[in-house]
Amino acid sequence: MTKTGLLPDEWLVSYASGALTEAQALVVACHAEYHDELKERIADAEAVGGALLEGVVPARLSVGALDNAFKAIEALDEEAPSEDRVPAFTAPRMPTPLASLLGKGFDELKWGFMGPGMKKLMLKTYENGERLWLLRAKGGTEMPFHDHRGLEFTLVLTGGYKVGDTHYTPGMMEVAGPEDTHHQPIIDEGEDCICLAVTDAPIKLHSFVGRMFQPFIGL
Amino acid sequence: MMAKTPQNIEAPKVASRGNLAARRLTGEGADASLDAVKSQSSEVRDIFSARKDKADSHEDLVRRIADNKDRSAFAELFAHYAPRLKSYLMGLGLNDEKAEDLAQETMVTLWRKAAQFDPAKARLSTWLFRVARNRFIDHTRKQKYAEVDADDHMSQMVAPEQTDAPAVQRQYAERVKAALAGLKPAQKQVIELSFYQEMSHSEISAELALPLGTVKSRIRIAFEALRKELRDMA
Repeated sequence: MTKTGLLPDEWLVSYASGALTEAQALVVACHAEYHDELKERIADAEAVGGALLEGVVPARLSVGALDNAFKAIEALDEEAPSEDRVPAFTAPRMPTPLASLLGKGFDELKWGFMGPGMKKLMLKTYENGERLWLLRAKGGTEMPFHDHRGLEFTLVLTGGYKVGDTHYTPGMMEVAGPEDTHHQPIIDEGEDCICLAVTDAPIKLHSFVGRMFQPFIGL
Repeated sequence: MMAKTPQNIEAPKVASRGNLAARRLTGEGADASLDAVKSQSSEVRDIFSARKDKADSHEDLVRRIADNKDRSAFAELFAHYAPRLKSYLMGLGLNDEKAEDLAQETMVTLWRKAAQFDPAKARLSTWLFRVARNRFIDHTRKQKYAEVDADDHMSQMVAPEQTDAPAVQRQYAERVKAALAGLKPAQKQVIELSFYQEMSHSEISAELALPLGTVKSRIRIAFEALRKELRDMA
């Protein structure tokens, strides 16, 4: 689906239009931070939004709308606009939206056991059933085969892995859907592979071994 | 470049909530909305009459807000954008009052962050669109929409003097509109459902009874065509 590991345009349009879920938007924003090309495409899509905004039939404002705006401005009370300072984690690189969410480095997190060589940390559950995860696998790990019941976005943060012929490295995004069956990532040798993932439905594992892992993985 | 600004525009003591019913989407265009803002206080009326013949670009007006807290500049931008923001927000499903609240918040954000707006990097309409989109999501879903610093890429940026003129600004919107109009209806539809309804691919697929793959490829093709038009302009 994303052979180059860059999110296809239709998702960038969804980001720009506001149609992504919060979890997806977070992962896409992290992904874009690695690639100027994506930022540029998102800026273009947002410019389409701006042009569409220019083109709407203007609505009638209530009487006094401008005065109300000035009142709101006066109520601002000269408070300096708060600059959200994000903690800087230099090694390994952590995208800004994730750094804001975590507030600490990967090694300070309380990782949970997910299976041999694999750790997980659920960062957030959302009302719509989505979950935001950090997944961590030791170099050389072969993940169990699994299908996807729903849509899954996976962004590589450190290390790398292969699915079939596609090699995912830091900054690359894999989008997997229900049509992607027998999905078996193989982690590169060497450093741990850490990924940020969004799942919108539990994944289903194949095989006896896989089913045995299911309770551990619990994705 | 700086117009003398009344330093103390007084807000009316009681804001009338009387004619909410009169608020509606209107086909009468911007002038009707302009009347709505103009008719309020005499100070505000003065601002408009004083500015009659000036044709500062929207970007210049933002600069004047940043540099001098220029209320007349704000009033002019408000008259143009607040009715459009409100219309966009109502299209997303907000009622009249809430849409106006968020349109106002968006414009107040512009006042607050005017110094951070860089016309060399983004058009004002794009900037306002982003703020309104994020405010809408914050409001309706009680969630934060992660922001991309999309203007950070700095490639193929248009020189400010090229984007400054209001005529170019209008022309830009016109060309995107023309590019949209030039799309096949089926492609235009998926772009509009994305932006005006915030529909996801699967929602569009359900709405139009189309396979998901068809929806995605239509969006891709439509976006490629629009992007080509945007790039040709730059």
